[in-house]
Amino acid sequence: MSQHAMLVDESRCIGCKSCTVACKQENGLQTGDWWLRVWRREQLKDHLVRYYNTQSCRHCADPVCQAVCPVGAIQRGEDGLVIQDDAKCLGCHVCVTSCPHNAMRIMTNGKVGKCTLCSHRLARGKEPACVSVCPVNSRVYGEREELLLEANKRLSELRTKGLRVHLEGTEKEQTAVMYLLVT
Amino acid sequence: MGSYVRTRALTSSSEPLDHDEELRTSICCLCNGGCGIKISLDQEGKIKAVFGDPENPYNKGKICSKPMEIAQTLYGPYRVRYPMKKVNGTFERISWDEALDLIAQKYNQYIKENGTGSIVGITSKIGGSYSKLAHGIFSELTGLVNYGTGPICTDSEANVRKKLFGDGSGTSPLSDVVNSKILLIVGNNTAQTKAGQFHWITEAKRRGTRVVVIDTRFTETAQAADLFIQIRPGTDAALGMALLNYVIKNGLYDPTFVSKHTNGFEKLVQDVSTFTTKRAEEITGVPQNVIEKLAQDLATLKPGMLFEGRGIVCVNNAGASLWAFEGLMAILGNIGKPGSGIISHINNTGGISNLIQPNDVMKPDRKRSSSALYKDMEEGDVKMVLISGNPCATWPDSARMSKAIEGLDFVVSHTLVMDDSAVLADIVLPATHWLEEAGAQPSVHRVLQWKNKTVEIRGEEKSGGDFYRLLAERMGLNSSYFPDSSESAWELERKHNKNVTGISRERMLATPGGVHFPCSEIGKENVRLFANGVFKTSSGKVELTGVSDAPLDYVDTFDAPGNNGLSREEFPYLFSTNKVASHYHTECQYSDWANEMEQPYVEMHPLTALEIGVKEGDKVRVETVAGSIVLAAKITQSVPRGFLSTQPYFGLQSPYRQAPANTLFPVATDPVGGNLISKNIMCNAKAEGGQGS
Repeated sequence: MSQHAMLVDESRCIGCKSCTVACKQENGLQTGDWWLRVWRREQLKDHLVRYYNTQSCRHCADPVCQAVCPVGAIQRGEDGLVIQDDAKCLGCHVCVTSCPHNAMRIMTNGKVGKCTLCSHRLARGKEPACVSVCPVNSRVYGEREELLLEANKRLSELRTKGLRVHLEGTEKEQTAVMYLLVT
Repeated sequence: MGSYVRTRALTSSSEPLDHDEELRTSICCLCNGGCGIKISLDQEGKIKAVFGDPENPYNKGKICSKPMEIAQTLYGPYRVRYPMKKVNGTFERISWDEALDLIAQKYNQYIKENGTGSIVGITSKIGGSYSKLAHGIFSELTGLVNYGTGPICTDSEANVRKKLFGDGSGTSPLSDVVNSKILLIVGNNTAQTKAGQFHWITEAKRRGTRVVVIDTRFTETAQAADLFIQIRPGTDAALGMALLNYVIKNGLYDPTFVSKHTNGFEKLVQDVSTFTTKRAEEITGVPQNVIEKLAQDLATLKPGMLFEGRGIVCVNNAGASLWAFEGLMAILGNIGKPGSGIISHINNTGGISNLIQPNDVMKPDRKRSSSALYKDMEEGDVKMVLISGNPCATWPDSARMSKAIEGLDFVVSHTLVMDDSAVLADIVLPATHWLEEAGAQPSVHRVLQWKNKTVEIRGEEKSGGDFYRLLAERMGLNSSYFPDSSESAWELERKHNKNVTGISRERMLATPGGVHFPCSEIGKENVRLFANGVFKTSSGKVELTGVSDAPLDYVDTFDAPGNNGLSREEFPYLFSTNKVASHYHTECQYSDWANEMEQPYVEMHPLTALEIGVKEGDKVRVETVAGSIVLAAKITQSVPRGFLSTQPYFGLQSPYRQAPANTLFPVATDPVGGNLISKNIMCNAKAEGGQGS
């Protein structure tokens, strides 16, 4: 079956945090809770390199969180979405410590919460909320193959301009949310 | 470590939105970006969610966080729902009738006893097109002098442009940028301030427009640009003048445009003749070769556009920078053609004329500058103020403004929320939000878009349109001039303002993205101003040296109003403000989401932090000649050493409980343009509470 995926292009992000707020609005998250966050990163090389790094569940093809969850509250579906069942969650937070992307968060109710890739919106044929608002198309959703083409196009354009960029989530540690990262 | 397995249940941490087919369409009225939005309502008719409108060609479904945040402020605890009167220091609920009678009685009394000039309006947030029109009529009938957004935001920009071109508005729509070859962005972090429309600039860049950003901070806009030129704070005029001089000396300007469409070229040549790129390098810190390359690029990459921001408008030497950069665009011939011109969020549709009969017009018996207003309030020449806005946070020397307002005889605040200004009022009136009021909304694309009323009011809120009509009735004025709805107001406006005559409500609603103005009766839209080469000055030409009788001259920010005469030893740093995407003025800060996204901080360079002796998050006391406030340090290389910057929002009555940054600015004016200053003030900074050395 054709897989869908999301591309997060760090080189385009302007740090407006619209995605974070849209995520909170769409998923009705409590004050203090978040599934998606934007961090500012600065590095001083021969000149100042700054970019915004977004952090949320990457929906791994082989999710560690699923493997460690003692009650089977986290399941990866055939559609590639890693979904956590809030009702089953014990709040033991083992997944939080094990997640390599630091994307499982402890919510204010003591349980764990994470991005669903807006599965309820996908079911209605819509894109995830963060993608729908992103003013600079830093976040794109679509067919995985097409997104890979788009990502490679963006990579080569950026490399022509002298930026050091790479793509994460395509190879061995495959994820449904791919990251175009600036280094 | 003990076991801490939590039992199931409690509550679910998330609640995804249900599908809603009946979304209502509106236009976001926050930053003048004019983004189309879609509103989802719950069963009670309250806003559940705000989305971008994919049908709107200007934002294509994309939005920043601000319109989403706004829904929270509508129903939050700070919202004012009914009229209130202060009795012995506490507010008591009263009826609109009682409030209007009291205001009308006081108003007439002050006119009679102290003259029309004893009453002023501080009205930066008057409301939509209906409210603006009614407020305009009311002011004509009563001689009310108003201080709107101008003194604190746009005066320098609008005044300089008006003198150069005869019109204070931006000459071209932002969307024109895709037709330009080069875009010069000066002191404008549009990636944060107009995030929803920023894709026009990134799209232009992808299509080959060279995007050059000149700023003191390494902004998000700079990050997305082809070239970022970091300039010493307050030295933009020196760069602009050197560009002019280089372009002139090397014959890189457009001689045909200069001879046919400008006056004063010879004098301009004289004014800038000593400004070599070498001299500019010494002042601005921008290498000579970078300035020269930029001048050459501007000359060869045509058409080109200019987008200035508050970073060069709200400063103490703004007039000269604006004059230099806009004059530069003119001599390059970058006005009136597709892909050329000046982009601005100043988009005045023009005023109404011939509505009020001459014998009904009351002229103000005295006028005062925005800086003189403080003194006249303090000394009792002003008796009464009508506030719609939050001057106690947004005007400079906020503490002084608060004290001056508190000392007045009678203060009325028509407001959305109980803010720092409303708490000082004698009468507080509940205002409608822009989502609760229909109207025509202009945008940075030089279009007018109509928005219907999206949600019903939930208390006794009234729009400025209703308030000023009802007040005029009570005062015994000829209230027949006033429209009684947003729709009739627009019809009246079309009749009396030839710039919008051809723009009916139906036409706006039927045209995705709205209709460009000016648009006369024939209905032909003007996408950009001055396409015919005729300018609105009395000569019909660009008055290159018409901004001031004095020559175009560079004044160092340390020698300009506000800083002039202060000791560099006592105030070794410069303090400034910059805006962020999650806030718009003091309007969005009542949202929980805005609070989660942004907390107050002061940006400083690591070496400055080292000097002061603070680390990330430590409290820093910033002091200026006007006052002092405490902020958390945010250490970043995005600002140069010795330069501190924070956000111009907050207020002691806001959820942040933070003294506003404007407290630190003395009341000083840009001598050429007239703006009150709210950037680049000399300051000292030290660790608060025993930290550091």
